Amino acid sequence: MADETADQERRGFLKWLTAGFLALWAPAAGIMTASFLKPPEHGPRVGERMIRAGTLSSLAIGESRFVRHGLEPIFVVRLADQQVMAVSAVCTHMQCILHWNRDNSTFLCPCHDGVFDKTGNVLSGPPKKPLRQYSAEIRSDEIVVFT
Amino acid sequence: MSDAPRDTQTPPPDSRSWLERRVNLTEIASLLTVFGLLPAELDTRKPLREALGEALSQPMSYYERWPRLLGLLAFVLFLLLGATGILLAFYYQPTADAAYPSVVAIARDVSFGSLVHQVHAWASILFLFLLAFRVIRFFSIGLYGRGREIIWMVGVLAFVVATFTDLTGRLLPWDARGYWTTIRAREVIDALPLIGPIVTFLVGGKGLDSLILTRFYVLHIGGFPFVLLILFYLHFASIRRVGVPLPLDAAQKPRVGRALRIAGIDMILLVLLMLGVLLTFAIIVPIPFDVQADPFATPPNAHAPWYLLAPHAVLEAVPGLLPRFVRGLLLDGLLAGFLFLPFLDRSPGTGARNRAFLAAGLALLVIWVLLTWQGWFLEVSR
Amino acid sequence: MTAWRTMGRSAFATAIVAALAWTHGAHAQDSTKTAPAPDAPAPAAPSPAATSATPVAEKVVLPPPSPLHERASHPLAAVPTDSKPTKTTRMCGVCHSDIRVKFDKGIHKSEEIGCISCHGGNPDAITIAEAHRGSGYRGRPRRADIPALCGSCHSDVARMRPYQLPSDQFALYRTSAHGLALARGTMNAAVCTDCHGVHEIRPADDPLSMVARHNVPTTCGRCHGGNGDPARPATPGSPLADYKAGIHGHALLVGNNNAAPECANCHGSHATAQPGARDVDKVCGQCHGKVRSFFMSSPHRGAVRRGGHSDCAVCHGNHKTTRIAATAFEKTCDSCHKPGTPEGAVAGRIQTMLADASAQIDRARERVSRAEKIPLYVEDYQARLEDARTALMEAAPATHTVDTTAVEPHTRRARSIAAEVSREVDEKLKGRWWRYVGLGLFWFYLILTAAILLRWRRRAIARSTSVR
Repeated sequence: MADETADQERRGFLKWLTAGFLALWAPAAGIMTASFLKPPEHGPRVGERMIRAGTLSSLAIGESRFVRHGLEPIFVVRLADQQVMAVSAVCTHMQCILHWNRDNSTFLCPCHDGVFDKTGNVLSGPPKKPLRQYSAEIRSDEIVVFT
Repeated sequence: MSDAPRDTQTPPPDSRSWLERRVNLTEIASLLTVFGLLPAELDTRKPLREALGEALSQPMSYYERWPRLLGLLAFVLFLLLGATGILLAFYYQPTADAAYPSVVAIARDVSFGSLVHQVHAWASILFLFLLAFRVIRFFSIGLYGRGREIIWMVGVLAFVVATFTDLTGRLLPWDARGYWTTIRAREVIDALPLIGPIVTFLVGGKGLDSLILTRFYVLHIGGFPFVLLILFYLHFASIRRVGVPLPLDAAQKPRVGRALRIAGIDMILLVLLMLGVLLTFAIIVPIPFDVQADPFATPPNAHAPWYLLAPHAVLEAVPGLLPRFVRGLLLDGLLAGFLFLPFLDRSPGTGARNRAFLAAGLALLVIWVLLTWQGWFLEVSR
Repeated sequence: MTAWRTMGRSAFATAIVAALAWTHGAHAQDSTKTAPAPDAPAPAAPSPAATSATPVAEKVVLPPPSPLHERASHPLAAVPTDSKPTKTTRMCGVCHSDIRVKFDKGIHKSEEIGCISCHGGNPDAITIAEAHRGSGYRGRPRRADIPALCGSCHSDVARMRPYQLPSDQFALYRTSAHGLALARGTMNAAVCTDCHGVHEIRPADDPLSMVARHNVPTTCGRCHGGNGDPARPATPGSPLADYKAGIHGHALLVGNNNAAPECANCHGSHATAQPGARDVDKVCGQCHGKVRSFFMSSPHRGAVRRGGHSDCAVCHGNHKTTRIAATAFEKTCDSCHKPGTPEGAVAGRIQTMLADASAQIDRARERVSRAEKIPLYVEDYQARLEDARTALMEAAPATHTVDTTAVEPHTRRARSIAAEVSREVDEKLKGRWWRYVGLGLFWFYLILTAAILLRWRRRAIARSTSVR
């Protein structure tokens, strides 16, 4: 009797084992499909990381320039004669694209009236975080921004 | 479904699962029988387990012979092509500028992208060969007699539509080989009266540009596969009506039918083997990538795909013999004659057919193979 | 005023012809005003005496300005120099129609230089005798006179100025090998018409011109075609065939590379001459400046000065210019330096360096193209291979120093970049081993699954038979 139950148990265990083994096909196929569908990441190439943002001489001091780049455009602001700054043009609140307010040198968000100063700090409105800054360089009259 | 309200008042324990009490799983499973994946009828009034057990215990004599699985394997391949095709469509961009980079990105950057791409390519090759072999087999043992006309015509049409699907797929990567293969294939198809104009209408012109690539794409992923699906359905629907033919030697040697369960296991084994072979080919002999298509640079040895080499040879060989139009008409007539064969060969019975037709068909096959070789010779070893 | 009247008269004469031979209708109305005698002879060329007597007037009156006093001393003094438009061949073309057809294709037709400008005669006459008489009729010019005849216009600075054409060709020609030979009395020395065509003279920028760049070799080859031409026994070798077989000829004639030199780029066009042995490096250096500067710093330069070897041509040939392959380096040097000598050893070392770099690049390229077909990401490797190739190309001019230390940096750079690319691509290719592992795993699973299924199958058969 005991032998029989043991045998049955063994059979049950084996059955579960084989079922489990066969069931492995499904997660394998699932993992493959999922990893196929995961968008490939390619690190930005050197050329893509360097954005040419126009000449310095055509940008007046205290003025900004809107630079289209990928999904995240950039504002380049000329702070002084030889000093430029690059900040993201995307509002940190709801990802709307900011406008440059020439009169008081601020960035204004058209969605919820968030206001940033020209270096990207929040002045008023719903945004909490300051704008993302990028390093910018002047290379013989050309402004180059690195992302 | 109909006995659901009784559940509330009858105490006898319900053997059905939680899900089964809400959804008729048997009905869903009977989709398998519709497309012949399960060559039996499921009793949709019974729970799935019971219905399946019943169906699997029925004796089935005819699936014991391997060649009968050609259609099933073809359908499994069709499903596989559909699955890999859907995956590829997640990344593919059907414009002349973006197509090639997107295919390269699939094969290079996406994980398992190369595998999916290669499996799709190899499966299409195997799919066509299976369908062609199936038509030859049907013909050679005369499986187009009274009652089987639709099965025969569907078999021939399935092969033709599958070649169209293959042809439209070849252009999609927009690589040099695919692009010029399409050009050379269009040259053959356009020479066929009736078929040529229809194809030109479908793909939207004779040139090859972005708009036409989009048409090829839509036809490849939507149009032709849908037609194929309908044809497969028709095939199995007709099989269910007229039944599966008995083996030729059934009269002399009646065989003991085995349960469908066993035949089903055989089926699964064969499908597994096919998948294994496919994957092995995709990994060990991947089809190499070609350069991007350049409309201003024809590569050497650009030639039509294998199934169009014989028509090409007919159209090109010995120009003085018959006008090109008449040759095209001849090819059209051949296709039509082949398609409507059951109505031409009216000899009785379903077994061995009219010997004259058999001989003519085999001769045609030999000529076709020779012409394919001739077309290959015309194109490649010029 | 004089000019106006002359023009009117000539126009009237033309009008008469027009009635006969459907030319010039427009001038007929003007010409009736002056109304000279209808049978007035065509304006004769002012006699040399008359023109030299009024040089000032001639200078003032435009458009026919020419220093006629100088022309008077020419053998061509008799050529008509009047200002009348000689727009067409006029009556000459009636008999000489084959020549007219050729002439009409040339540039002189559109510049109103007609038959009589070179041949004299009366273009309006309607009898042969009259046409071949008067106004300095000269018929076919003598070969020896042709350069001066052409020069009578083409040496005229004022006349060439509007066309921005040089006017020194005649002077240059007289210094050239052709001109000197002609002066010595060698009558078959080339004159203007041999290269520019006789009647069908097209501008040099016309692709059909005999002196268009790609036609120059054929034009020169008509005389300098090579051996076996009894007419030109003096031309040694077979320059035309050699040129076509050489890298320059191939580039120009087959590759349509207009930067490739033709005959005149080395030998001069009007002042043709053979470059002297000591000048070959200067001639080649016009284009191959860097190579020349390397060569000048090499010990070969001194040897050339002392021994009078023609420098570049010793290795590269003159007409059949060849690029010396990296693998043929030692063999080329062999012709002067035997393998055993120290100089021969240098040649061997340079060849080894070049051949190694080139083989390394080929190996890397083969790997990259293999990876590209898979496809793997190879753009970076391709860019680096381009660097390697550039380095190898930089090594080629440096070999002219015959200094291994000058060549070595370039070949080492090419070799190291290519080797690095090879190694990295190899690693990438080898990094695909996991595919085979995956395939093995897949088959392992597949076979196990099949085994389970077969077991089930066997059991199902056993059960069905036991039931029966």
